[in-house]
Amino acid sequence: MAWLSDNAFLLGLATLDGLSSAAAIFMVAVGLNLVFGVLRVLNVAHGSLYAIGAYSAASLGLFAAARGLPAWASLPLLVVAAALVGLVLGPPIERLLRRTQDQEPVLQLLVTFALFMILEDAQKLIWGVRPVVSDAPVKLMGTVDVPIGGDVIPFNAYQLFLLPGVALLTLAALVYGLRRTLFGRMLVAVTTDREAARALGIDAARITLVTFTIGAALAALGGALASPTTSLVPGIGAQTIVLSFAVVATAGLGQVEGAALTSLLIGLGRSFAVYLEPELEVVVPYLIMVAVLLVRPQGMFGVLETRRI
Amino acid sequence: MLRLEGASVDIAGARILRGLSLHVPAGGRVALIGRNGAGKTTTLRALMGLVPLRAGRIAIDGRDCTRVEAHARAGLGIGYAPEERRLFGSFTVAENITLPAEVLRLPRPEVERRRDAVFALLPELHDFAGRKAAGLSGGQGKMVALGRALMVGTRAVLLDEPFQGLAPALALRYAEALGRLRAALPDVAILITESSPDLLTSLVDATYVIERGEIVSA
Repeated sequence: MAWLSDNAFLLGLATLDGLSSAAAIFMVAVGLNLVFGVLRVLNVAHGSLYAIGAYSAASLGLFAAARGLPAWASLPLLVVAAALVGLVLGPPIERLLRRTQDQEPVLQLLVTFALFMILEDAQKLIWGVRPVVSDAPVKLMGTVDVPIGGDVIPFNAYQLFLLPGVALLTLAALVYGLRRTLFGRMLVAVTTDREAARALGIDAARITLVTFTIGAALAALGGALASPTTSLVPGIGAQTIVLSFAVVATAGLGQVEGAALTSLLIGLGRSFAVYLEPELEVVVPYLIMVAVLLVRPQGMFGVLETRRI
Repeated sequence: MLRLEGASVDIAGARILRGLSLHVPAGGRVALIGRNGAGKTTTLRALMGLVPLRAGRIAIDGRDCTRVEAHARAGLGIGYAPEERRLFGSFTVAENITLPAEVLRLPRPEVERRRDAVFALLPELHDFAGRKAAGLSGGQGKMVALGRALMVGTRAVLLDEPFQGLAPALALRYAEALGRLRAALPDVAILITESSPDLLTSLVDATYVIERGEIVSA
């Protein structure tokens, strides 16, 4: 108890930081999950979409500021940048990966990894290797005093409200969309059994294309939303995709709510490590993953195969 | 109604169907009998467009449908109940049944009319309509797969080994349901595959026997 009250300030800060990083991880992981469901390809290049979304949002924000657009415009521009990245890059990448759909998993992984390397270099070519900073949205929203124990932590409202808020909205939209809309049911059907879905009249190729584009846009949105909170450097894509793999493996494939809870667990776990035992930061997400998979190999929320008899 | 002419299919480099021809007339009840591996399932998958033909053609009411995409065939009025049921486990029984009609963008009242007609034909489906398909037994699942195929199978219904793995009592109920189809849907062509002809003798009016991808007697 004494330790808790001594470290209340650090713990509070770690929780707030963890929540906002969980929000960004969720956006990437849930897209990765949806795409794997319809395409059955584990897309390493999904992390590039996060990075390109982040850089595009920063560039668009800086461009708008230079053109004298009002500061509030920086917020909707984050979404515009993400949508553009999803629409421009999603369909061609889907077309490429679809050709590997029935191939060996090793080949699929090599193709997506090669694509990841190409996109990583393209990103250096366009944005260079010097850090890019565009924090207008964070400045715009100011700070909020968060009371923790006897202390008050001034924390920026952007990370406190906007990031988790958008992630929650995305979660709600996906849960509603998957359960209550025809498109969502068709997506679930294609994910469950592609051939049976086609035999029932579902255009699986179209569902896959649209789902991939949504997944790409979500990854780009994760990057775009995270971009004002950090300086952008090469390598953010790799860091994100590895964390997303950990989330998807821990949650179990095909789980939207599970991905949200697991993102929270891993985001908070990592953030606590940063504040309390910084040398463990990198390893904590994987310790959580290993611990879960040892007990439940199908993932925390994954379901075993449906009964056959 | 449903015609396969000189169909050849290769899967993974092996010839599975060798110039197979068969015809199911409108309102006809036709059995395709053969041992495991003879090519029964491949014949139905070819009719559904799920495997490409190397040679031959598929015609529905005289219209060449060989190149019609798999997902467009449900819209032509062909319903398909695969051997392994292939239900969507996270959906309820009712959702599984109505899905193909919704995919065709049929108006709500028409979807409900067809669903109720299926419930009338297969009353047990009504009893577990609200249950998740993942929790059904194999026999119940077969009934649901039949109901789902009937939702869009307004011209033809393809049933792949419907009696496979059914307990005798359930097999009897399934056969009774098929018997009721004859009266309720007199114009729908039905093609049923089975490994033994015994269960089907009273239900069909024509039988093809398939061996190693060829029709050996008709």
